[in-house]
Amino acid sequence: MTQVDPTAGSAAGSAVGPGAGSALFAATVGLAGNAPPRAGAWRLFRDNPVSVAAALVLLVVLVVGLVGRWVAPYGINAVDVANALQPPSGAHWFGTDDLGRDVFSRVLVATQVSLRVAFVSVAFALVVGVGVGVVAGYRGGWLDTVLMRVVDVMFAFPVLLLALAIIAVLGPGTTTTILAIGIVYTPIFARVARASALSVRVEPFVQVSQTMGTPSGYILRRHVLPGVSGPVIVQTSLSVAFAILSEAALSFLGLGVQPPEPSWGRMLFDAQGFLGLAWWMSVFPGLAIFVSVLAFNLIGDGIRDVLDPRQRTLLQARRSTRVPGRRRAARTGGAA
Amino acid sequence: MRQTMRQTLRQTRVLAGATAGLLLLTACSGGGEDVDLDGGGDGASGAGAEASGPVLRAAIGGEPDQLDPNKTSSYFSFQVLENVFDTLVEPDENLDMQPALAESWETSDDGLTWTFHLRDDVTFHDGSEFTADDVVYSFDRIVDEELSPSWRFGAVEDITAVDDRTVEITVSQPSPNLLSSLGGFKGLAIVEQANVESGDITTAPVGTGPFSVADYTSGESIDLVANPDYWGGAPEIGGVTYTFISEGATAIAALQGGEIDWTDSVPVQQLEQIQGDEAVETGVVPSNDYWYVALNEKREPWDDVRARQAVAYAIDREAIIQAVSFGTATPNQLAIPQESSWFTEYDQYSTDVDRAKGLLAEAGVTSATVDFLATSEYPETVTAAQIIADNLAPLGITVNIRTVDFATWLAEQGEGNFDAFMLSWLGNIDPDDFYYAQHHSTGGSNYQGYANPEVDRLLDAARTETDTAARKDLYAQAATTIADEASYIYLYNPSVIQAWSPQLEGYTARSDRAIRFRDVTLAE
Repeated sequence: MTQVDPTAGSAAGSAVGPGAGSALFAATVGLAGNAPPRAGAWRLFRDNPVSVAAALVLLVVLVVGLVGRWVAPYGINAVDVANALQPPSGAHWFGTDDLGRDVFSRVLVATQVSLRVAFVSVAFALVVGVGVGVVAGYRGGWLDTVLMRVVDVMFAFPVLLLALAIIAVLGPGTTTTILAIGIVYTPIFARVARASALSVRVEPFVQVSQTMGTPSGYILRRHVLPGVSGPVIVQTSLSVAFAILSEAALSFLGLGVQPPEPSWGRMLFDAQGFLGLAWWMSVFPGLAIFVSVLAFNLIGDGIRDVLDPRQRTLLQARRSTRVPGRRRAARTGGAA
Repeated sequence: MRQTMRQTLRQTRVLAGATAGLLLLTACSGGGEDVDLDGGGDGASGAGAEASGPVLRAAIGGEPDQLDPNKTSSYFSFQVLENVFDTLVEPDENLDMQPALAESWETSDDGLTWTFHLRDDVTFHDGSEFTADDVVYSFDRIVDEELSPSWRFGAVEDITAVDDRTVEITVSQPSPNLLSSLGGFKGLAIVEQANVESGDITTAPVGTGPFSVADYTSGESIDLVANPDYWGGAPEIGGVTYTFISEGATAIAALQGGEIDWTDSVPVQQLEQIQGDEAVETGVVPSNDYWYVALNEKREPWDDVRARQAVAYAIDREAIIQAVSFGTATPNQLAIPQESSWFTEYDQYSTDVDRAKGLLAEAGVTSATVDFLATSEYPETVTAAQIIADNLAPLGITVNIRTVDFATWLAEQGEGNFDAFMLSWLGNIDPDDFYYAQHHSTGGSNYQGYANPEVDRLLDAARTETDTAARKDLYAQAATTIADEASYIYLYNPSVIQAWSPQLEGYTARSDRAIRFRDVTLAE
């Protein structure tokens, strides 16, 4: 299955591909070894205006997520039915909802809720997925087969269906949502990490370490984990974007974040009955989702451009040329 | 009763979706706009063949699960069957029982024997004669097969046909509510034995009502044609075609566009705008349904009456009513609405946070967490729960809203896994319907675990009290105590909201949600 996973394809391909040039080889070693973090990567990233813009937007979103609860002008659950469904005004920048709550304040706080769900669930997927993938890839053999078949089975389910099934068993709520999203994004991390670990395992310096009797744990920590970090970072950024969308989808179905706690998806759910009556109830949380997801996707793309050795080479040669492989990888993330 | 009824509604929706898929396969033709009058005579020995006049097009919120009135508990079924079947007696617009298939009745001196005298001019839609045996058969079937209305026969010992035109019912104790039990809604309809035994009743029921079922195209429409031999006089309209539109905005657009003549799928948030439209008539009538909040008295601190009262004083009823109904509901601190002859004046509670805090302090409660059961199938429960959460926050009570699907909701309620919930009861007519099962310590729906021997005594006494004034007094005492002790925290009576075209004349929205088209006219 590794060959159909384009996210991992470049790393695995660079090591075992027949036509790997010397420059490429050097880059791979740089990535895989414990050399200081890619010199020039930051410069490449900085020079890409799209990435910088996305990073700035993301910074704003993150700051809102951190301080939103404290700077919100109104209490997010302060019901004021007499002022329900007010259009945006000086007093209520984003208007009020059907219970007279301030939509602006709720969007601010929802940012924290949605981001927390996304980050925690992706962190879960990252830790478990990378752990499984690295062990499977480095150990190989029957362990690899067993772990990867389990991952294949999980991959066979559409993301939302699997998440719905998990929530059906555990009951709706924020914690369950985090767990459900975390579980459904675990396989992709396992695959990415395994593919990289496979390629690192055959590197000369790893072989040498093994021959010298270095303990496996040390080799994993010292050589394999740094080797898989590049693709995993890219995957993390993309997964956060999709985790935000998943949380919104689950909450929109009424299964995610429970009222009165706002999340972007939950706010859209609440706005359903008022689409024709109060556009502001749906437009603002919708915009928040759109902007954040776009930012995370663009950042993911930007990081991939500078970290992926093959693309990095291409970038250095012809800056900002779009490579088909990159697009494909981004879309695969979406399908997963 | 609402809970079971609404559960069936859910299943009905699923069924409608499945059958809609089937429909595509069978590719049935016809827009469902006109009743095929010739088809109406098919197998119904010419009934409806002479019917004429325009056909009323009504849109209901979903498809009936079946058309057997004694078996279904779906409101969608009753919206149709109200016009197809008759009961012994039936409620008028004030919900007082009036003669229907029984033209008169009398009670023995001990109150234990009821004798009903039946009309002699009634025939079923297939032409066969209606007799006392049909009444006995229908009621025996409900009791023997334990069909959904069977609980209404709790006090009934025996049902016998004295002769073709006389039915005698004996009861174990005086039962002043027997008439509303036997005629309160079309679940007690008199059915035809042959129709039941052939199994046709589920899709092609034969009744005695003003309209007969001519055609039922699953997933699309149900066509009724006027019954020219109806004992109450043949309807003026030629028939009724029911279509199923679940989305309120779609139904209103269809009404405004002249595609339908009547609907009850009216989104409350659009009501004001609809009322300003001259092309649409609306009916907003306070209903006999009521919404309430219950606290689990088997759990601390809600076993303490003061803690429950504190919640009752903290809740902002007006805000809840405004948010869930856009002001169309009527606040009520007891169950029975103002329009009913059983109404009792009561306004003990007002939103008073200081008083609530005081009561809570007396009860020794400094903080509490409430597991509030809500279901998105009734969005009002989720909306109100958020308001209640905000209302209770100043008291140091944290409300955690748990939104589950309704099947889970019912299971959790049954097992007592909740601190609080909000729901409603509908289909109540007699005061016994409003209070007994919910608040008697042995009541079947007393999920909150309320037990007060005095209330038990009052409810038992009221059940058998034949003097109306004395009975009303007993219920007033019971209801007042129930509310004082916050067994239920009553919130409001919602309104029945329907909309129809100005061409439809003589129609009135009824507080019991019965949809009667027999006396209407339709301008062409």
